[in-house]
Amino acid sequence: MFKTNNVASRIFERQIRTPAPGTSVHSARRFYENLVPSFTIYDVECPDHSFFKFTDDGQYFVCFSRNRQDLIVYRPTWLSFSCKGEDCDNNQELPPQAKRFESFFTQLYVKRLASCNELICKDFFLYMESNQYGIFATSTAQIQDARGTDGAILGVPSFEKITIHLFRLEDGFKLDEKVFHNDCVNLTHNMGAFLYDDLLAVVSLRYQTIHILQIRDSGNLVDVRAIGAYCREDDELFLNSSSQLAGNRGDLVDNGTNHDQPNSNNSFLSGIKQRLLSFIFREIWSEETDQTQRVQCLKKKFYFHFQDYVDLVILKVQFLDRHHLLIKFGSVDVGASRNTDQLPAFFAVYNMETTEIVAFYQNAADELYLLFERFCDHFHATSINSMYMNFISSHSNNIHALEQLKSMKNKATSVSQFVKKMLSSLPLNCQSTSPSPYFDQSLFRFDEKLISATDRPRQSTDHPIRFISRRQPNILKFKIKTGPEFGGADGRSKKYSHFLFHPAWPLALSFIQPSLFLPPSAVNIHFRR
Amino acid sequence: MGSMLGNLPSFDPHNFSQLRPSDPSNPSKMVPSTYRPTHSRTLPPPDQVIATEAKNILIRNIYQRAEEKLRSKHAATEHLIPEHGCKQTRPSTS
Repeated sequence: MFKTNNVASRIFERQIRTPAPGTSVHSARRFYENLVPSFTIYDVECPDHSFFKFTDDGQYFVCFSRNRQDLIVYRPTWLSFSCKGEDCDNNQELPPQAKRFESFFTQLYVKRLASCNELICKDFFLYMESNQYGIFATSTAQIQDARGTDGAILGVPSFEKITIHLFRLEDGFKLDEKVFHNDCVNLTHNMGAFLYDDLLAVVSLRYQTIHILQIRDSGNLVDVRAIGAYCREDDELFLNSSSQLAGNRGDLVDNGTNHDQPNSNNSFLSGIKQRLLSFIFREIWSEETDQTQRVQCLKKKFYFHFQDYVDLVILKVQFLDRHHLLIKFGSVDVGASRNTDQLPAFFAVYNMETTEIVAFYQNAADELYLLFERFCDHFHATSINSMYMNFISSHSNNIHALEQLKSMKNKATSVSQFVKKMLSSLPLNCQSTSPSPYFDQSLFRFDEKLISATDRPRQSTDHPIRFISRRQPNILKFKIKTGPEFGGADGRSKKYSHFLFHPAWPLALSFIQPSLFLPPSAVNIHFRR
Repeated sequence: MGSMLGNLPSFDPHNFSQLRPSDPSNPSKMVPSTYRPTHSRTLPPPDQVIATEAKNILIRNIYQRAEEKLRSKHAATEHLIPEHGCKQTRPSTS
């Protein structure tokens, strides 16, 4: 849309021309080509906290204390300084007062989050932008010898107490909490929870229940439903009343049975397991028209694998919209095993209102992959409120990302392995990609192996990370250098680097860690001078 | 009446010289032509309400494919229900 690259002439052009319909945000984002974080302050002296994340609206910077008990929230600001003397503007060096962490971040508050025997899960944070509420999690240590209790499945670790906290980030006021006792929720990288608008889904692995909670504007966490053993709110009542009848008849037949056995062994499968199995049954049933063929098909495909289907456990969940969930089913060993590609996994689309399974896919299903390729954006289910989510580059909304995907597909040795690998990222983690325009593939080209919108620590290189403009190929816009080249002294030691970009400003932090488990040895600030 | 453009530079001063701006004392007799349809094939149904589809395109696609599968495989799901009747829990005999 702009004819020149000069920022002043672009501003002038913006005054007299309107962009093509529907592209006003895209053309506004092109100004990020001109405002880049090209200046670096190396090795900033900063408080010894575990810096975690910018909120997606850029208002808060969330950190946890090293002992993982406190929450510290900063407000990102911009540096301001005064200098005495002549020719201040042309000074290459910033005055020392400006080169501090406090120039960029103002501490708002420190709040104790975890009580004495609990620790904050330092990879878990969800942000509700509309009310500026933050969701954190704390948990006690893992119980070593978890006894099987009623309803709990075996093979899953147990934690005495897992708490989900709801905080108002403006002032650090704790609004509400939800406690899970003797349970297991996978809290790393937001895997066990998904926030959509005001609905929060939490997967209780141990009790195989999906808890749907609603965050009210008043700050209350309200239970909406619990999907697992029961699908509708009155299922429990109905099943209990009917199992009483079965129990009466059963007592006459088997007197010597152990009455400590959980009820589910004696009665039929209920809840989501029943919905799943009946859906699979009907699908296989409707494949053949001939009656004998049908029965053969059922025997082969359904009854032969019946116990495997019954043993499936809910692993991960995401919202597709307010009523539909995408649930990943798998074997209970997945948590322990590293090599998740080999184990079978299934995806089901479940409608919470009608309590029906709408679709069921194997983890290498081409159909699901096609949907993922074409509508990837809709898997990043978000409400209409957060507009910036529409502009996060994915292979469904960006031609460069799509080309990258296609070239990966062509290079892959086996299509089904490629499909499995792509689908293993489903259901997607909530709020795991940074909305920073510097990761916009239509503005910049960068090496995805060194830096990307999903902030994870990666092995760092000594070379600076280059961000090259897309529109003017081969013109370097800016470089992120993580440290002065160390040279031969510790050239062998592998370092890990980790980046946090502010969602809107030309501001980024980089952290250099000697190992994944140690705190960062250096923190750099990259910003536009 | 002088050029409408006053003394502004122009390619040809005689352009627009025939134009008479409308003035209220002398109303123009020109009526803009109206077009009426000769048929009613393209009329919307009288009870039509246009609303945004609540389901997003991904969900719509998933439902569509599920329905296609059901239709194309000649699902005999209606035969299932009379065969099994209404389910009753039976005491376990094993």
